[in-house]
Amino acid sequence: MAEPSSLDVLLKGSSGRNTRGLLRIVILLTVAAAAVASRLFSVIRFESIIHEFDPWFNFRATKYLVENGFYSFWDWFDDRTWHPLGRVTGGTLYPGLMVTSGVIWHVLRLLTIPVDIRNVCVMLAPGFSGLTALAMYLLTCEMSTSPSAGLLAAAFMGIAPGYISRSVAGSYDNEAIAIFLMVFTFYLWIKAVKNGSIMWGALTALFYGYMVSAWGGYVFITNIIPLHVFVLLCMGRYSSRAYIAYTTWYALGTLGSMQIPFVGFLPIRNSDHMSALGVFGLIQLVAFAEFVRGFLPGKQFQRLLTSMVLLTFGIGFAGLVLLTVSGVVAPWSGRFYSLWDTGYAKIHIPIIASVSEHQPTAWPAFFFDLNFLIWLFPAGVFMCFQSLKDEHVFVIIYAVLSSYFAGVMVRLMLTLTPIVCVAAAMALSAVLDNFLTLGKPTPPSKVNADGSKFFGSGKGPMVGIYSSISKLFVSGTITLYLLIFVAHCTWVTSNAYSSPSVVLASRMPDGSQFIIDDYREAYYWLRQNTPDNAKIMSWWDYGYQIGGMADRPTLVDNNTWNNTHIATVGKAMSSREEVSYPILRQHDVDYVLVVFGGLLGYSGDDLNKFLWMVRIAEGIWPDEVKERDFFTSRGEYRVDEEATPTMRNSLMYKMSYYNYQSLFPAGQAVDRVRGVKLPAEGPQLNTLEEAFTSENWIIRIFKVKDLDNFGRDHSNVVAFDKGLKKKRATKKKGPRVLRTE
Amino acid sequence: MKPWAPFVLALSVVSGVFAASSSAEKLQKYQSLSRSGPVDLDSAAFEELTSAPRDYFTAVILTAKDARYGCLMCREFDSEWNFISRSWNKGSKPDDLKMVFGTVDFDQGKAVFQKLPLFSYSPPTFGPFAKVETDPARFDFTGPLSADQLYAWISRHLPDGPIPPLVRPINYMRIISAITILMGVVTLFTVLSPYVLPIIQNRNLWAAISLIAVLLFTSGQMFNHIRKVPYVAGDGRGGISYFAGGFQNQFGMETQIVAAIYAVLSFATIALAVKVPRMEDVKGQQVAVLIWGGLLFGTYSLLLSVFKTKNAGYPFYLPPF
Repeated sequence: MAEPSSLDVLLKGSSGRNTRGLLRIVILLTVAAAAVASRLFSVIRFESIIHEFDPWFNFRATKYLVENGFYSFWDWFDDRTWHPLGRVTGGTLYPGLMVTSGVIWHVLRLLTIPVDIRNVCVMLAPGFSGLTALAMYLLTCEMSTSPSAGLLAAAFMGIAPGYISRSVAGSYDNEAIAIFLMVFTFYLWIKAVKNGSIMWGALTALFYGYMVSAWGGYVFITNIIPLHVFVLLCMGRYSSRAYIAYTTWYALGTLGSMQIPFVGFLPIRNSDHMSALGVFGLIQLVAFAEFVRGFLPGKQFQRLLTSMVLLTFGIGFAGLVLLTVSGVVAPWSGRFYSLWDTGYAKIHIPIIASVSEHQPTAWPAFFFDLNFLIWLFPAGVFMCFQSLKDEHVFVIIYAVLSSYFAGVMVRLMLTLTPIVCVAAAMALSAVLDNFLTLGKPTPPSKVNADGSKFFGSGKGPMVGIYSSISKLFVSGTITLYLLIFVAHCTWVTSNAYSSPSVVLASRMPDGSQFIIDDYREAYYWLRQNTPDNAKIMSWWDYGYQIGGMADRPTLVDNNTWNNTHIATVGKAMSSREEVSYPILRQHDVDYVLVVFGGLLGYSGDDLNKFLWMVRIAEGIWPDEVKERDFFTSRGEYRVDEEATPTMRNSLMYKMSYYNYQSLFPAGQAVDRVRGVKLPAEGPQLNTLEEAFTSENWIIRIFKVKDLDNFGRDHSNVVAFDKGLKKKRATKKKGPRVLRTE
Repeated sequence: MKPWAPFVLALSVVSGVFAASSSAEKLQKYQSLSRSGPVDLDSAAFEELTSAPRDYFTAVILTAKDARYGCLMCREFDSEWNFISRSWNKGSKPDDLKMVFGTVDFDQGKAVFQKLPLFSYSPPTFGPFAKVETDPARFDFTGPLSADQLYAWISRHLPDGPIPPLVRPINYMRIISAITILMGVVTLFTVLSPYVLPIIQNRNLWAAISLIAVLLFTSGQMFNHIRKVPYVAGDGRGGISYFAGGFQNQFGMETQIVAAIYAVLSFATIALAVKVPRMEDVKGQQVAVLIWGGLLFGTYSLLLSVFKTKNAGYPFYLPPF
């Protein structure tokens, strides 16, 4: 209290406004910087490297874009994946991410900043997360009158693990820019609804179009904006503002989204997009009804309205059913459908069910990703019900829908996080605004309260907090929660979300760090020791990495567009050598790559994914591959002495354990993932030979043998080489032919 | 498990040219019986139907529909089985592809159940679709099944060629009842609208629904629903363990406890933000702040400790728990 006058100068009047504005900018910049900085763990610990699986494809596509230019990228046919089919890559990807980083790279070059495209790709996600924090500030400021809510929301969004999980440095995936675009589109939409201006509506459409070009999750926006308008209509809140905003957005946004080749005519042909079209029609009718209401007396108008509603609903519904049955409008896409019928994917699309991101979410995951925001979230939703303006309706719809989606699928936690941050910031700022004011209220004399009927809003007007002990207590505990939140986020980011998963880190018994770099070792071996067009077969998880790091053609990759082709690989992996070899020959396979974690105890290996290969193959060849055969009679999945003959003879089993027993004293071989002792005698491979095994045995590469020079069977060749006596064939056989099917 | 609970479908084919006459008679007899659905067989009829010289396929389901056996699946699948055989009989198929559908209930055909594992038919014969292996193909039901899956299996065991498509009968009863119910609801709504509309338009109701939905979903209710987790489980020492071990597991009760914790925390926050600042009584406000703030602190501490049990390496905690 030494110089209250100078403080007053700073905090009151017009200079006070300027001071607050400056502070706000400084705080926002700090939040953005914190958002970027907390995502750099992996770069500091390891190096500037692309993570995981999908990012490797995006990286490869970006390299193609900056090397060959935009037009050849648009028409790109990639013959180095999905051998021998190839992939029309330019028409089957969302180009927004690659084009964004391409533009950034060109701008940097224009400014004579020489930077590698890889570094642009690695740093793109952290950079955009800073922008997301700013967009979150704008969005929340539209929702709340409190000046602190926006800043809190920006800070929450910047460091919430639910968002960091998909946007650490090196996680160069579509979500990296899509979440920013989504939040910003929602901000523009709220602006448009509030102002009823064509400009904001058109901007919404523009950013919606950008979002469509960047991520398949745009369908979420396509459905939530119509739903918002629909609920507003049901609440009797039709306004010309909503009409202008929605029609502008729908017309321009749909046209914009159809410019993306991968999306094409989906917006008018796919059921996922039909709600937007339906609400577009509905709002025209409501607008017309509003127009007519001005000219007609009440009674006639009622009758007209009722008949019109019934008629249009009937015609619309019948038309949709007719179009769906006749095939003009495609039914719901499988991924979308599996959100509603949770058992659907498991039965019909095993390839979707097999992805771990598509599993349901247990409660610890919610707390892990959102910490104390998760319990502020319902409080924030409650606050929205208190004032319930148009924009609050949006928050409520978004909150309920996205918490359902996040419960069904782990990866959709990403769409939940923004709204949790908005709601939590609204709740927390409402508390803090009351408890952080210095002034003491005077107890009011009897006031006639004109409170609303809403039960939570209390009966009287806001009074304020009297005692400074109360203020100290509450603000102190909330500061404590906030500090725990920051520590929690840092801890989670550092421990769970910063591993590149291409390079693994573990601890030695003495506590020192042990880097496991088998993946890159193996991929570089392929790059340097195999011909440029050697075809590599592996399970689809590794397709993108082989394409990106080893630069070799693959049979299947993470794009999973052709289920039959994937099932073919699954069949080759899960069948006997005699069955697999013809498949390998027919597909020109030169090398087979398997991931084996038995030596290190790395649990994400192929034998643990093996059942999915079997299941997917069984979906296409139910008579030749049977999941039941891989389980013992007691229904156990075993790899040791008691493994079923089908299991032991499968190519995957043989490749995984080939020569493994030679690492151990006789009869002591142990698989550390499944924790079992293996048979003393290892499997024997006839048609493949070991080409490379990485340092920790995580990656094993086998070369497919050519046909024998003397026309012998491969098993006979191996037997001959071992010096075994040839078994006399009992009867004369016809000439050897390559076995088909 | 009861021996008859997993019911078995046996599809067998043996055909005889030299005994064509008796085969044709049998076929005639059973096909006339099965105009509208599968033939109900007892042991003797089953023997006769599947005895050696025949040039038709038989698909027989062994089931136990009587309520005494408590085979829910048997009863559920019965209608599906009926409509498979009906679509077969009514559909158009090649002339020489003949098939008889039958049902053996445990009450009538105990003998069949006893000898089924020993099924073996000897004569290898010659005919248009004869197979060398004469054992009937078996299909073991391991879980609920739709007719389409079974039909796909049957068609795989038949010779290649066109087979009648599976036509699901239109359920007129269901359509009519749906329309009736819809009209009833519309009428009810029209009549009751003066009373119902205030309820539907009640903001408190919608707030309650939304909050409950959010609390349920964020406490992992969908996981319980999809994974069918147990409600609680024993801890092996005679007690009950409320919390499942491991980060990826949970019990039904556990999620309810967590939802309750979230609810308490949320309402404490709401009270602090909305209720307390409106209190005009100075003393009362002080007490209310301390109570709500203390409740918030204690419950959050409890939540952190619960989370610590799920995730052993979690380093953060708050004092009381």
